[in-house]
Amino acid sequence: MIPRSLFRIVSFCLTLVIVLQGTSHVTAQSEKTTSQSGDSVFSRVIAPALESKCLRCHNAARARGGLSLADAAAFAKGGENGPIVVPKKPEESILLEVLAGDEPAMPPDDDALPPETVAAIRSWVESGAEWPGQAKLVDKSKRKQPPHWAFQPIRAVNPPDTAETRKSWGRNAIDRFIAAKHAELGFRPAPEADRRTLIRRLSFDLTGLPPTPEEIRAFVDDPDPKAYEKLVDRLLDSPGYGERWARHWLDIVHYGETHGYDKDKPRPNSWPYRDYVIDSLNADKPYGQFVREQIAGDTLDPGNPEAVKALGFLSAGPWDFIGHAEVPETKTDGKIARHIDRDDMVGNAVGAMMSITIQCAQCHDHKFDPFTQKDYYALQAAVAAVDRADRPYFADSDSQARYERSRAEKLALIRKIQATETQIAAIAGPELTRRRQAIEAAKASAKPTEHPQYGYHSTIEPKDDAEKWVRFEFDTPVEIRKIALFPAFDNFAGIGAGFGFPVRYRISAQFDPADPKAAIVIADRTASDEKRPGIDPVAFEIEPGKKVRSVTISATKLAPRQNDFIFALAEVGVFDESGKNLAANAKLSSYDSIEAPPRWGLKNLTDGLAPSHVNRPEAASPEKLEAELNQWLATVIPADLLKAHNTAKADLAKQESILASLKPAGTVFAATVHTGTGAFTGTGANGGIPRTVRILPRGDVNNPQAEVAPAGIASLGFGSDLFAFADPQNEAERRAALARWVTHRENPLFWRSIVNRIWQYHFGRGIVDPPGDFGRMGGVPSHPELLDWLASQLRENGESLKALHRLIVISATYRQVSTGPAEFAEKDAGNVYLWRQNRRKLEAESLRDGLLAVSGKLDRRMGGPPFQDFVIEHPEHSPHYRYDLADPNDPATFRRSIYRFIVRSQPQPFLTAMDCADPSIRVDRRNESLSASAALAQWNHATVLALSEAFGERMSQQPGSMSDRVSWGFELALGRLPNPDELAGLTEYTAKFGFARTARLIFNLNEFAFVD
Amino acid sequence: MQDPHPSPWHRTAASESHGAAPSRREWLRQSGAGLGGIALAAILAEEQAKAANARPDQGGSPGILKGVLHHPPKAKRVIELFMAGAASHVDLFDFKPELVKRHGQESDFGEKVETFQNGLGPWLKPVWDFRKYGDCGHALSEVVADLAPVVDDIAFVHNMVGKTGVHSQATLLQTTGFQLPGFPSAGSWISYALGSLNDNLPTFVVLPDHRGLASNGTKNWDSGFLPGQYSGTVAYPGTPSPIANLQADPRFRQEFSADSEAAALSLMEKINRGHAAQRADDPRLEARIRGYELAARMQLAAPEALDISGEPAHVLKLYGLDDVTGGAYPAEINAREETHIFARKCLTARRLVERGVRFVQIWSGNDNGFPRRNWDSHEDIRRDHGPLARGMARGASALIQDLKRTGLLDDTIVLWSTEFGRMPSSQGGLGRDHNPYCFTTWMAGGGIKGGVAYGPSDDFGYKPLDRENPTRIYDIHATLLHLLGIDHKKLTVRHDGIDRRLTDVHGHVIRDILA
Repeated sequence: MIPRSLFRIVSFCLTLVIVLQGTSHVTAQSEKTTSQSGDSVFSRVIAPALESKCLRCHNAARARGGLSLADAAAFAKGGENGPIVVPKKPEESILLEVLAGDEPAMPPDDDALPPETVAAIRSWVESGAEWPGQAKLVDKSKRKQPPHWAFQPIRAVNPPDTAETRKSWGRNAIDRFIAAKHAELGFRPAPEADRRTLIRRLSFDLTGLPPTPEEIRAFVDDPDPKAYEKLVDRLLDSPGYGERWARHWLDIVHYGETHGYDKDKPRPNSWPYRDYVIDSLNADKPYGQFVREQIAGDTLDPGNPEAVKALGFLSAGPWDFIGHAEVPETKTDGKIARHIDRDDMVGNAVGAMMSITIQCAQCHDHKFDPFTQKDYYALQAAVAAVDRADRPYFADSDSQARYERSRAEKLALIRKIQATETQIAAIAGPELTRRRQAIEAAKASAKPTEHPQYGYHSTIEPKDDAEKWVRFEFDTPVEIRKIALFPAFDNFAGIGAGFGFPVRYRISAQFDPADPKAAIVIADRTASDEKRPGIDPVAFEIEPGKKVRSVTISATKLAPRQNDFIFALAEVGVFDESGKNLAANAKLSSYDSIEAPPRWGLKNLTDGLAPSHVNRPEAASPEKLEAELNQWLATVIPADLLKAHNTAKADLAKQESILASLKPAGTVFAATVHTGTGAFTGTGANGGIPRTVRILPRGDVNNPQAEVAPAGIASLGFGSDLFAFADPQNEAERRAALARWVTHRENPLFWRSIVNRIWQYHFGRGIVDPPGDFGRMGGVPSHPELLDWLASQLRENGESLKALHRLIVISATYRQVSTGPAEFAEKDAGNVYLWRQNRRKLEAESLRDGLLAVSGKLDRRMGGPPFQDFVIEHPEHSPHYRYDLADPNDPATFRRSIYRFIVRSQPQPFLTAMDCADPSIRVDRRNESLSASAALAQWNHATVLALSEAFGERMSQQPGSMSDRVSWGFELALGRLPNPDELAGLTEYTAKFGFARTARLIFNLNEFAFVD
Repeated sequence: MQDPHPSPWHRTAASESHGAAPSRREWLRQSGAGLGGIALAAILAEEQAKAANARPDQGGSPGILKGVLHHPPKAKRVIELFMAGAASHVDLFDFKPELVKRHGQESDFGEKVETFQNGLGPWLKPVWDFRKYGDCGHALSEVVADLAPVVDDIAFVHNMVGKTGVHSQATLLQTTGFQLPGFPSAGSWISYALGSLNDNLPTFVVLPDHRGLASNGTKNWDSGFLPGQYSGTVAYPGTPSPIANLQADPRFRQEFSADSEAAALSLMEKINRGHAAQRADDPRLEARIRGYELAARMQLAAPEALDISGEPAHVLKLYGLDDVTGGAYPAEINAREETHIFARKCLTARRLVERGVRFVQIWSGNDNGFPRRNWDSHEDIRRDHGPLARGMARGASALIQDLKRTGLLDDTIVLWSTEFGRMPSSQGGLGRDHNPYCFTTWMAGGGIKGGVAYGPSDDFGYKPLDRENPTRIYDIHATLLHLLGIDHKKLTVRHDGIDRRLTDVHGHVIRDILA
């Protein structure tokens, strides 16, 4: 027996510090049925103590730890570890162990029992711990919590309208909420910042880029009283807005472009999701739609390629490649990996979107919030069919719709075939099994012999048009008469024989290495596609008299694998006239090779091992047996059933050919019903029927309890009608329901969460802090009415995020200077009540983008595959992401940081030092490191040094005196002219050490790193 | 960042073999090119002030506990040696005569066993012979016999159990206490709690295998939701850029002189102070100025701490580093090279803790790829474990002896760990499959009772003898924190509404291995 404890999933929550859950389970009838055992110590002292301190958790309905103290029987039975009292032996009784002492374990969230009560219990145990037979105890704890603010409906609020709020300050309704609190608490607002400060603040805030001096001048000099509003509109309409705010979104959904965990393989097709986020924000897509698409876009809007790219949301987080690809779902480790996988999806779709810590409920009911384990697993059930893998998207909505339709139809047909198959098997009985086994046996004998050494395998390409080659070189010229290519065999992706055999290829030989033009072509198969061979060798005879020094086999069109392309061979034979194979004596080389021994390696090409047929009798061909089976079935199975079965099979073939005929525009790594091979099979082969999800006490995958159907969180009380399904086996309906539930109009958490997050990005602190937990252990809103008012504004006015931004940044609250009176700081050090604006440290990406912009290198091209500021070594096993080998002057890396390829296991060192988001976890708010290592990175990193040179060069080329040029650069970087002291110092420094070093200095100033 | 040079001996023989170390003063002068110039005077002054003090750890800044510990500590610092890929307990530290007896017989576990690669061949006896050593008489495999001189200092824990046979999750579990990425590593928690003993060096230093990072990469020493400065600082001693960004990127370095750096810092500080003066209520501005000052000090202190060239000959010999110039290494994995690689890190670790680094983590083994430079010996225990174990044993033994010699062992804990063990059966050939059901971890030094074998495994090393009471990483971490004066249940950080701790909701101090 494997102890269960061994395989417990990480338990997420602390057990010892407990604040009580809201509603206590007192039944109506209980109020009058207290102890009736007369005037004993039990009824006078012990029962009341237990009722006030213990019964809240240890009652008949709840029985925490398996223990109920409701009556004599329950008391005698005890908890999970048996009875809690050993009569007459207090020192051996758990009850006293947990109640006595300086810091008793029980009650966990309340004052300890008074010593005299503990003494009474001790003597009661000493005297035998007799529980009066009829005594029934109920919860009489005093503390009942009021309803928690976050779970209440969003209130209709009007902005305060008082004498104070009617005073001069204030530009819109937001300011009235702020002013009302100011009046209440004795604060007053700070003055409005000057235009120079405002444009720098707004530019970074809305677009993540600094304003140019020209933009600053235009704004500062603009006589229009609406100049500020015009600026806000211009910035919100600029593409930089989407690029900036997409980064915030990707922090929350922990988007990365490698899997993380072991081997940390790249995800080359993640980026369409990133572009989807940017484009959606720029288009100001209604917020509810934006989130619904990300959970179930494929089914809610099947004709929309964007809605398919949106599904990158569910797959954005880390994924245990080994736990899926090398461990099947039947094993404990495989179960754990898939549990963690669904947990991560629930975390994004529900935890992040609603700012709740629902994932705490995977081991036990949530300790603080009204979320049960059942709620949690019901949410897992909604995503239980999908995995993380590539899925195609199309250039136009017609193709996308046809594809999604065919795909759904295909899955439905598979389910149908499974159903008819079950009926047929029931009728046909064991004879069917016997015949099928015979066919399988025949097929197995048709399989080739296998060796651990499969052969040679090129690196994997996203397209089939890469040319790859293997070459055999001889020390001395040899006469060759025959060349044979032995196809490889690998069941990967169900391919089998001919795995990796090139679709088009050429074999050439060279007589004189000094004269490469003098090559002869032995075989040219480059004009049209060749059929994939079986495992028999493909041989080419060569006329006598040809002496050669080398033979090259070039694949000019690679073989398809699984959404990617390769070149592989088991063996190559180069024969002389006597039939002797010369290949083993040749020097081997290749364009590339994955070198994953023993299976794949270049030297396998000449190891003499290639798949070959196992002998089998002619009579037992699988095709023949199959035909016999079908004839037999027609005699035993009712015609209509057989017809339905065969029609479904024919329809399936039709859908598959439609699917194959549609040419995708690309693929996105997303949530999808996956059909795979090996351990990572997915649910596709089962028609996408969702995996069964069961409650797992303590998260133990080996202790599954009741099955759970998809649902929302019951206690929140809205949208329960959404989870009624026309076809319970159709997983798409589940995700659609989840999408509608999360984005429900009546879901107060959904609307408050996003409003609060956006507020936080504008002010540095949310109205509720932290932004990720609205539960009882989280914060309370500093301005609850404002929060609800903003949430209503968003929900009722087209769900426009841009309108919300506009509302916030137009406010006088936002426009305040970021300094304030010292006496306010003493009262409110964190500026919770916004008596000034908050100075902001630039986020990593804004800092880097700022460096690029100021140095004149910024490449504003949008979208597409990410740039890589690293070199990958050892891609075949565990890729090493070598940032140190990348060229800091490579223009390909001069794009905005949102377009960077994000590695999980080896994060970008410079941006990490600047506190960029860790893509392994949801980042609700960035850290702010002001440490020595951050200073060293900003001072010495190659990126800063390379861009300092560019910025220095740019300064040096300006007209005027050295001091003019320094002044120009200073203004470019900081948005203001230097004062005379600063200018003198910098000019003197430049004269001595040059512009590049001055540029570096400016890039390291506090004023560059902070925005007022 | 990784070492851009494949050889750990990139620094040439000349600089390694030059007799006496340069004096610190001279060394400071030589390394003028850096932020350091400006800090030179300050450091020299400080050094003089410190000369009166016997210990260098007078500086530093307290962590979150503000120096007020939960109870009197036995130890101040930790050196962790992590064997990536899963080191075989039955071939190194946990002798199982039953396996010798049944070698080659069909294995029978008495129950269904799930293994990672389904590799359950016949029983496989330890690949090397075991002998008893020390007063305690603990049996060690011949391949780690170099540990014999210190075996009486070591407490072995033979009944470790994990939760998974997947390297990534299992490694995270050992380093952070959780199977998912995103949680702070033990080193980060300890740095966060106790702070620094020396402001001029990072609090938590990681010395990875230069051939590649183990499973999860830098997540194993990440600070998770703790502030970023508590992440491990990666160092590759003996390479031109041992710590990333410590000096200007090498492709630009020639551009900068001590003069230009000092002048830049001074001017920058002046402008920053002017800026801060108008924003006096924002302490972050001052903190960032201070960050540059500290950076300058670190530029001087770190290379000196990482430079072993001044170590006396007898110390180098102790670590097996007296023959590093003895010619090129063979292409195949070999004990001499592995000794140089590992022992050098051990010696560096001693120098670091001596100078006040709180937590040093040394990694042996890269990414479980091929050819194996890691402990994931599915194919051939002798081939991979042999050289790796010899190198590890030599380095670890020297480290413990050296710490003892310098008096540091009294308050420095050496922790040897790996993500799980290996099966007592072969995988059909010469290797062994993963065994998350039982493995060995050991500790020595600061408050640990030596010569102890705690928590026996069963006759095969398949599972703990007492299956109901295994040791888990939470217990190791609880013990570690306990020795450092921290109650593992009290060191918590509220994150997303949950009071997180290193030991999750588990952990018991292992009293039986305390001195």
